[in-house]
Amino acid sequence: MLSILIWAPILGAVLIACLPEAIVTQRARSIALAVSSMALLWSFYIASQFNLSEPGWQFQEFLPWIESLGLGYQLGMDGLSMPLVMVNSLLTWLAIFSSDRQINRPRLYYVLLLILGGAVAGAFLSQNLLLFFLFYEVELIPLYLIIAIWGGARRGYAATKFLIYTAVSGVLILAAFFGLSLLSGHSNFDYDLLRSQTLPLATQLILLITLLIGFGIKIPIVPLHTWLPDAHVEAPTPASVLLAGVLLKLGTYGLLRFGLGLFPQAWQTIAPGLAALAVVSVLYGSFAAIAQTDMKKIVAYSSIGHMGYIILAAAAATPLSLIGAIAQMISHGLISALLFLLVGVVYAKTGTRDINVLRGLLTPERGLPVVGSLMIAGAMASAGIPGMMGFIAEFIVYRSSFEVFPVQTLLCMVGTGLTAVYFLIMINKVFFGRLPESLANLPRVRWQDRIPAVIVTMLIIFFGVQPSWMVRWSETTATTLATNQGGLPAFAVAQPLPSPASLVTLTDVDG
Amino acid sequence: MNQLLYQTSWWVPVYGLLGAILTLPWSVGLVKRTGPRPAAYFNILMTVLALIHTGVLLWAVWDLEPERLLVPWLSLPGFDLWLTFVTSRISVGAAFFITALSLLAQVFALGYLEKDWGLARFYALMGFFEGAMSGIALSDSLFLSYALLEMLTLSTYLLVGFWYAQPLVVSAARDAFLTKRVGDLLLLMGVVTLSVIAGSMDFTHLDLWAKVANLSPLVATLLGLALLAGPTGKCAQFPLNLWLDEAMEGPNPASILRNSVVVACGAYVLIKLQPVLALSPTVLEVLMILGALTAVGASLVAIAQIDIKRAMCHSTSAYLGLVFLAVGTQQDEVALLFLLTHGVAKALLFMSIGSVILTTSTQDLTEMGGLAPRMPATTAAYVVGAFAMIGLLPLGCFWAMLQWSEGVWATAPWLIGILLLVNGLTAFNLVRVFGLVFWGETKPKTRRAPEVMWLMALPMVTLTIAVLLLPLVLQQWQVLPSWQQVNPTLVALLVLSGAVGTGLGGWLYLSPRVAKPVGLVWKSVREVLAYDFCIDRLYKISVVLGVVQGARLTAWFDRYIVDGLVNFVGVASIFSGESLKYTISGQSRNYLLTLFVGVVLALMALAWSYGNWYF
Repeated sequence: MLSILIWAPILGAVLIACLPEAIVTQRARSIALAVSSMALLWSFYIASQFNLSEPGWQFQEFLPWIESLGLGYQLGMDGLSMPLVMVNSLLTWLAIFSSDRQINRPRLYYVLLLILGGAVAGAFLSQNLLLFFLFYEVELIPLYLIIAIWGGARRGYAATKFLIYTAVSGVLILAAFFGLSLLSGHSNFDYDLLRSQTLPLATQLILLITLLIGFGIKIPIVPLHTWLPDAHVEAPTPASVLLAGVLLKLGTYGLLRFGLGLFPQAWQTIAPGLAALAVVSVLYGSFAAIAQTDMKKIVAYSSIGHMGYIILAAAAATPLSLIGAIAQMISHGLISALLFLLVGVVYAKTGTRDINVLRGLLTPERGLPVVGSLMIAGAMASAGIPGMMGFIAEFIVYRSSFEVFPVQTLLCMVGTGLTAVYFLIMINKVFFGRLPESLANLPRVRWQDRIPAVIVTMLIIFFGVQPSWMVRWSETTATTLATNQGGLPAFAVAQPLPSPASLVTLTDVDG
Repeated sequence: MNQLLYQTSWWVPVYGLLGAILTLPWSVGLVKRTGPRPAAYFNILMTVLALIHTGVLLWAVWDLEPERLLVPWLSLPGFDLWLTFVTSRISVGAAFFITALSLLAQVFALGYLEKDWGLARFYALMGFFEGAMSGIALSDSLFLSYALLEMLTLSTYLLVGFWYAQPLVVSAARDAFLTKRVGDLLLLMGVVTLSVIAGSMDFTHLDLWAKVANLSPLVATLLGLALLAGPTGKCAQFPLNLWLDEAMEGPNPASILRNSVVVACGAYVLIKLQPVLALSPTVLEVLMILGALTAVGASLVAIAQIDIKRAMCHSTSAYLGLVFLAVGTQQDEVALLFLLTHGVAKALLFMSIGSVILTTSTQDLTEMGGLAPRMPATTAAYVVGAFAMIGLLPLGCFWAMLQWSEGVWATAPWLIGILLLVNGLTAFNLVRVFGLVFWGETKPKTRRAPEVMWLMALPMVTLTIAVLLLPLVLQQWQVLPSWQQVNPTLVALLVLSGAVGTGLGGWLYLSPRVAKPVGLVWKSVREVLAYDFCIDRLYKISVVLGVVQGARLTAWFDRYIVDGLVNFVGVASIFSGESLKYTISGQSRNYLLTLFVGVVLALMALAWSYGNWYF
């Protein structure tokens, strides 16, 4: 079942690659859309079959591959990977849909996008460490090429930087995986097998820190982040959407799956440091975003800040905080995707992303009123306004992390305030004000430019109003993965309190 | 029947939101043929439904004990989130009051924004506004109230920024959002902390918890201050008061609600949080100091304004300061009464000056005059609203002030001085505005000023009658003391302060013999007051400076240190590769020599390290 999610896009890519030139130029987009719609529908089907109360793997698949290396084709899905796979399928579809119809070299472009989608799905579904690593590396190449070929003016620099950083990340992860398998005395990379091993704490720490740096590049954790703003600025819109929406989540996914999952004791040791890093990431990303003038850079730095919340929640490692971390992954995935989509539309219509040049785009008829309204919605969702999914995800993160790291959590919350600052600066400058003459003759925005953004906005609001649909997938998994069963901080109430439940029965009508 | 009413009490906020959603086809431009009017009608219809619903609910719950309604929202391991509503006389009454004022303001807006192309958008935001506010009124959960307060922040931003093409509006909207956001952020910190240490976020539970809570003084103080920050921002109290002044750039019908019920929402939450705040005496002191500072300061600032809306909005801050003082002295019921009486009176004043602004197309007091005979209904509304604001005639605020002063008479008599000062200054200011706008000679902009159209006059006159009848209604509810219980000294003081203010104002502004503009005090004092005590400077050298410098420093560090280092490594490796290629001679014996030397060195290093380890 799960293989279809990986191989359907890749087979689609092969199909597009093999078709004659005449058909490809006209049909590449439709084929890619059809294939990714199929993957999307299939992931809906899998979601409908997903068993919420099962803590372990579901839909497992196994094929022996290179036994001598310990590499097997093992797939499985649990509450951690399931929502991310959904987001990946959705955003791949949106990325293909929002691609320019007149794009150069369509054959290569759509092939790369489909491979990217398939490889990311593979990484989320792998149950074997080496297989994960393979997919993790495969995903890198198409993105590198997309940035290097369809990117902006400084694409060479950005793509190379991206490639070097991510390759280093891959090497470190591979080293940690090899170290783990060697030291635990197995020649196998099966996740469950390695999870049952206990290594000495010092060894665990070395391996975990190696993994942390490896995934920290991908997330990115400050100071390993400098590849991200450059890559975002130069990447074409669909690549930015995928990069912010799913590829960064590979880092946090890896950290939770392999860091927390394989080294629970060492995780406890480094957790305070990790929480401190989260604070640095949040504040650094937010402050840096305030000083930017390029809309894409603002959103890119805001990504760095918002990924920090996931790290904070991961560090706390209580059942609730892991649910929060996963919720924040989904919410950041959708919200940043929305923001990048809209920035893409603005750039496509006006030819600039400089907030000091753009003005008054909310003006009806001649401006971009709908895009502007959606941008306000996206910015507010990112700033944690209730009613949208950013709020509830961040609230769960704060509420749960506060129990373990109160001071760090409070500092991270300052980031929410700063988010409002930079997005308000952006909205005020770009969308408010009077439309200048130079922008008065913008090309019309067609509904197909807006549809992806409208879909994402509706999802953001839907999950904001009905968050249990977002978090229920991961409850069981988060509880089994948590190392820290939660507890009140030192200054909690000393006296016992009448429990809320008993009070409810006193005064309650009924729910 | 009653059970059904309770079960559906959460619909009340939904009507407003539904109205907001119904306007979408018009506000995004899908439907253009009909013009934006149908959107407004939908919203008004929804508000009428909400009004009927709250009216019936109010009638049903009047004599009953408060009932709570839990709507399960999110259930997670170890953490349940309920949206808790409470249906009591007070909460439903507050919701009724909000919906009623919202209905009047919406009808008023039909006239006020008749020719505005963004009418549908305006109504969408008004629906949102009303939904959030009536939700706060009914909410029994700090979490829900916080969420709705944030939605109010958002809708304030969008309503103030309604005419977003004007530069002043842009900065006003930004400041309104960010100032409130500072308060909200601290409130959120308080909410999260409270949810962990108290284990629940329902006000009912928090009350019980506060009785047994055993917090260290430091934690209690920090928690209380964080919780206090949210209402301080919402109620436009010092130091988070400037946004209300700037928010007057927005359309007037929204200002009607903003100055009456939106600010009251902050105070309403504050009243509900009072038991938690009372855990720390320091917090109560801070609350009193903020309230007192704002009450006196804002009353003075109001007198120095020449913008008609700004002259009114500062007095909103001042009255909310009195409410803060009432909460600080633990007189919750007086605080609620004050919110009600101030709310209706201020709403009426804002309707009246809205009519003036629309007719004269100016907000500058110095350009007005002589409107009284031309706009009788507007003038009547202003006069009634003004008298209901101050303690002179037995209208709304008189009774609230009387009860307020009776509450503090025994404990802190010095507070009565503040009340009398606020009363006198407000009376003076209201007479001043009356003199400049309605009295005296006409000016070019007021010469041809007809009375407003019926869509604006109808809600205005309705509210005028309501304000006049309010004391009778209060009497009916037995909120007012009988004449025998009243402290005559306090009544005398109150009336005297009102009369002095009115008399002084009348002498300076109603008499043609005193030259206008009246120079009461030195120019420097006037300027300090006109610029709101230069509080914007305070922002600039504190929060704004911190954020701006933090951002600059981070961006510099990011660009030159972090990225610089990375680029340096990149350039260095390219450069070393480039330069190393010239050291290649192509002679194989040199390579062999290099290899040999390398191996020998490596072996030596290995031997040395083993030597250290094993011998």
